[in-house]
This record gives sequence, structure tokens and C-alpha cells, in this order.
Amino acid sequence: MKTERLKKSSFHLPGRPARVPALDREQWIALGFMVPLLLFVVLFILVPVLGTLVDSFFLDVTYLPKRFLGLENYGWLLRDPGFWQSVRFTCLFVVVSVPLEIALGLMIALVLNEQLPMRGLLRACVLIPWAIPAAVSGRVFELIYNYSFGAANYLFRVLHLTERPVNWLGSEAGAFLALVVADSWKTTPFAAIILLAGLSSIPDDLYRQAKVDRATFIQRFSRITLPLLKPVLIVTLLFRTIDALRVFDVIYVLTGGGPGGTTTSLSLFGYHYFSAGDFGYGSAVSVILFLLAFALSIIYVKLGHFEREVS
Amino acid sequence: MPKRIAWLVLLAVLSAVCCCGPEKDAVVFSVGGAPAELAFWEELIRDFEKQSGIPVELLRQPTDTDQRRQGLVVALSASKSNPDVFLLDVAWLGLFTASEWLEPLGSDIDQSPFFARVLQLVDIHQGKLMALPVYLDGGLLYYRKDLFEQFDLPGPPRTWEQLLSYARTVQSKMRKTNPDFYGFVWQGAQYEGLICNFLEFAGSNGGFINQGDRICLNTLKNRRALAFMHDLIRTHGISPPSTYTEMKEEETRTYFQSGNALFERNWPYAWALHQGPESGVRGKIGVAPLPALKDGESVSTLGGWHIGISKFSDVKPRALKLVEFITSYETQKKLLLHLGWNPGRKDLYSDPEVLEVAPHLRQLRAVFQNARPRPILPYYTQISEIVQPRINGVLAGKYAPEEALAAAEQEIATLLERYDTK
Repeated sequence: MKTERLKKSSFHLPGRPARVPALDREQWIALGFMVPLLLFVVLFILVPVLGTLVDSFFLDVTYLPKRFLGLENYGWLLRDPGFWQSVRFTCLFVVVSVPLEIALGLMIALVLNEQLPMRGLLRACVLIPWAIPAAVSGRVFELIYNYSFGAANYLFRVLHLTERPVNWLGSEAGAFLALVVADSWKTTPFAAIILLAGLSSIPDDLYRQAKVDRATFIQRFSRITLPLLKPVLIVTLLFRTIDALRVFDVIYVLTGGGPGGTTTSLSLFGYHYFSAGDFGYGSAVSVILFLLAFALSIIYVKLGHFEREVS
Repeated sequence: MPKRIAWLVLLAVLSAVCCCGPEKDAVVFSVGGAPAELAFWEELIRDFEKQSGIPVELLRQPTDTDQRRQGLVVALSASKSNPDVFLLDVAWLGLFTASEWLEPLGSDIDQSPFFARVLQLVDIHQGKLMALPVYLDGGLLYYRKDLFEQFDLPGPPRTWEQLLSYARTVQSKMRKTNPDFYGFVWQGAQYEGLICNFLEFAGSNGGFINQGDRICLNTLKNRRALAFMHDLIRTHGISPPSTYTEMKEEETRTYFQSGNALFERNWPYAWALHQGPESGVRGKIGVAPLPALKDGESVSTLGGWHIGISKFSDVKPRALKLVEFITSYETQKKLLLHLGWNPGRKDLYSDPEVLEVAPHLRQLRAVFQNARPRPILPYYTQISEIVQPRINGVLAGKYAPEEALAAAEQEIATLLERYDTK
């Protein structure tokens, strides 16, 4: 059965001897359908990624002659305090914001999975923040955190929590938390919707049986919901982690990397070099970001035991 | 039959695509800005087309300066023939000339109507004229004339010490009725404008970033200026704590315009808006050169936009015609009257019709004659990105001035070491 399927497919699994398969008419048609997508992947993903990788081995500054450097750019990066600052910030941002978003998303998903009146409308409403472009939601939060006329300070004044307005983005911790809040507000709905899809695929019978066995809510959640949700949970984690690693727009709009450069993410750090015309160094930053994302993806895939389903 | 139509359509599309290729006779002119500005440029371009018979295509860019630079850098580093003509921020000229992206404008251009100092410092590179100023900018001090009268203060402050004492007096009295009132607002957020502000404080004390290729950032003069900026917010409390988190040009302008500040450092564009019908300070303001530190002299950072021709342009003679048109007396006057752009030409500053509409141009002339550009270095943007977070960090109370300037100087040294091609 297995070999038969393999023969028909035009792919070779690693380890199998490569044979040029003679394609029949049906397979040619199938190939025809795949070509546009393959072209798309090669043109818009593979070529830029390889181009960036190659460029990271060069001194590529607009006003200097282009020169091959080997791994020198990476050497300079490792000695660049600005780079380490942005690595620290980015990792901390991922570690704090992703679990927060997933936890909140899971709670929202659990609520939305119940039989509520107007469930469809509620689900649509939850998605609204996700539909707003990050740059726009960044502006919205700018108005909330604004020192002199922001909504947050207005609220604090009305509730007599503080006498003088608070400079929310003024301290390192304050700016960091402000960014986490702004980012979570926008991306929690994404987590919620994916997790909701996962929840709705869990058969109701299991819960009914558990109830018959007098399982408590917590038992039902930890013995049924969580294990069955795990693959979806891992996928959501993967998406959110990669997204949070490359966080850019909300920072660009809200703090610009300030105060004192403490909220510069890796993307923003690399962007500064690109926009100044130092493409080689900027590319090296991108490659490191890519490798980080890649390594984390592999860890997640291992955690999720997805290979089992493939084989 | 439908098949044949489909083929025809395909053929038509293909030929249309091919025709848009290399052969081009229009001059592509890249301009950015607010929608109203772009609409006016469109109008000017149509006039030029009628006058000269040369077709021009406007390539619209965003308002944001960094994004405009990025757009041009990408096209030019790929040696693209589009755009042919573009506006450049004064701070990019070092990069653009060192990258050899600009075509010299030639010796036929009459340089006498322009500010000689500006051309000398910015536009002339190795004896060749590479660009011409279209719009000049420089830091100014706006102040509340009505409050000066109310509290019986003499004229605008000459020194920062005077500014400090005026601001303290007025702020403490105004606070009784207005808790949001501050003495002095300026641009301290982490962005390019912070460097412009820093250079004015430092410059008025005799400091700067470099001397030619030598970086001299961590000097006593710069440290003192930076400490003063820090103290304005943290010790004297005459500038709001949000100075280093959110104060850019527009935030400063609206703060001052809503009547919540005595002094404001801003560019000349704020004048027309402060005097507009919606403004809370309409008719109550004056404008003066920025103060100096004791024994120093007032320094204003030169900003603004210059026009240049791409080295890769395939229609250079036509492009030059467009440059001449845009820097002509008539066009510059139109730009001033419609967009409030301060002309790059000196001769307009004594035009009676212009002075009637924009009387503040009298003061601006003196300011521009002494304005100082940011370092004209090909790696200026990198320097700025290194210095911004350090200075902003001092204002945030994260570093001492000495620590910040030493660290920035070290980082710049490392950058130059990396760029050193041996």
C-alpha cells in the first residue's frame, strides 16, 4: 500500500533511491496545477531568503565598493551592544506576550464554545482587533497612553488613582508593558479563533461520558480538552511565537524604540540598517531572526509529535 | 470565436506591457508629502508641461522622511533610471553624493540668488553643484507675547538661562489655574528631530558631532548641553515628562497651540498653523532666534528639501529644465504662497508681496544665513541611529550624559572600523 502511494507521488522521501518517475497524463495535469504555487514560493519566498543570506556575507553599503566578508558581519553583530539589547528585548517580548495571548485566547475560546445567545455575532466581534492593521491599532494605543490627553490618564484622574498624569511610555518597564498590552489586544483574537476551531472539533460525547463519570470541570478540562487541543495549541503557539519574534509595527508607531533604545526589537534594529543603506549588516540581522524562528519552529514541531501523523 | 477574442486580449495586454518598457520621454519626478502638497505639485507640473512641452510624471511618496529616503535608496542602489528628479532631505546629501547617485547640475546655473552658505555647506561637493535648495527649514523659538506682557517680561530670551528663569516664573503662576502648563516644549522623542534639537543646544555652547572625519561627541561642551536638556525636564521641570516619550514636531505644536506652554522650539511651518483660525494662540505669539548658552551664539539646525537629478536618469537635459523651473523665482513664490514653504532662494525674502503675506520671513532670512546643517557624512543616518537612543536615554534618566556620549562615540568608532575597506 505504502510503496504504491510512493510510486504515484512525484516526490522522493529522503533516504529512498531517487528515480525519475515517468509521469502519466493525470500527474502532468496535477503538476500543472502546482506550478503556479511553486513559482510563487520560489519567487517570493525562496529567492528573497537566499538573496538575504548571500548578502549577509558581504559588505554591502551604498557608498562603498561591495566586498566579500564571509562571516565577518556576524562577528561584528556579536560584538554590537545594540544587537544584544534588541535580542534581549525581543526574547523577553516573546516570553511574556505569547503565553499571555494564548492564555487569554484560550479563555475567550472556551467562553465562545459554550451555547451562548448570539454566538455568531460575538465571535465576529472578538475578531475585530485582529482585523485592524497593527499600525492603526498602534495609533489607537498612542492616544490611550498619551501623557496630556490620553484615555488612560483621563481614567486615572477621574478615579483619583493618581494626582499627576502618568508617563506610561517613560520607563523601560512601562514602555515594555504598554507594548505587550497593545500587542496582546490585537493578537489575542487570532489565538482565540484558532483555538475555538480546535475546541469545536472535540466530540461532545466525551464530555457527556465524563459527566456521567462525575468528572469535575477542572478534570474535564485537563483530561479531555487540553490533550485533544494540544495539536491546535502547538500550531497557535508556533504562529504567535514567529509573529512576536518579528514584532515591528506596533513598536515603530508607539515608542520608536524608546525610551533610550530599550524597546528596539530585532526587526527594528535590522530595519534601521536597511533604511540607512547598509544592506549587508541588515541582512545578517534578518538571517539571525530567520534562524531563531526556524529553530523554535523545529522545537514546536517536535513537541507536537507531528512526525507521527506524517509517517 | 471566444477563444480568438481571448487571444486578442492577451496580445493587447502583452503589447501594452512591452510598450511601458525602456522607451520613455517623460521626466519622472518623485515627491512626497501631505495630500494637499501633492495636489499642488501636480498643478505645478501641469504648468511646466504647458510651458516647456516636456511631459512629467509625478511619483508619489509618503509624508514620512525615513520612508522617502528608503524608497529612493532602494531604487538608486539598483541603478534604476526612475525617478529622474527627486527631492532630498538636507540630511541625505552626504550619502547621496558619496554613493555617486547625483548628476552634477553643471556650471550654467546661476548660484547668486541662493544662500551662498547653504550651497557651500550642503549642495556643493568637490567643487560641483549637486543639488539646489527648494525649501529651507531651521529651528525657531516661538513664545507667547500676551504672557510676556501679562507678566511684565522684557523681549524674547537671548540665553538659555534667561529662558529658564522666564519659564519658571510664568509656569509657577500659570499652574494655579492650569495644571497642564509648562514653560518650554521641544522635540525629545527618540527620532531624527531629537538630533536637530541636540545640535542646537550643543551648538549654542560651541559643540558639534564631528570635525570633518573625526567624531568628537564626548566633549565637555556636548556633555554640558545634554545635561541642560536633561535638567529642563527632570530638575527644573519646565518641560513635560512626555518630552522624551512622545514629543515630535506635531505633538509640540499642538501642545503649544492649545495654550499650554510659554516657549516652543519648532520649525517655521508651525507659524501659519499657530496663526490659523482653529488655533488657541492666534495673534498671541512671537518668533525669535533660539537662545544660546552663556557666551555662546544662537544656532539653528538647517532642515529642508533640496532637488537633484539621478545619475541614472536617461533624460538628463529635460530633467535639468524641470529643476530650473522648480527653483525659479515664480515657482518658489508659488510654493511659498500656497504651501508656506520657505524659499530656497534668498531674493524672495525681500519681495514686498511675499513679506506682506509672511512677515516672519524677515527673521527667517537671518536664521537661514546662520543655520548649521547636520554632519554631511555618507554614514550620517547610522550615526543618528546610534546617537538617538543614547541621548533619549539621558532624558529618560537611564544614563548620565558622559556615559551616553562615551558609549555612542565608541559605537560610532566600531561602525567606522567595520566600514574601513582595507
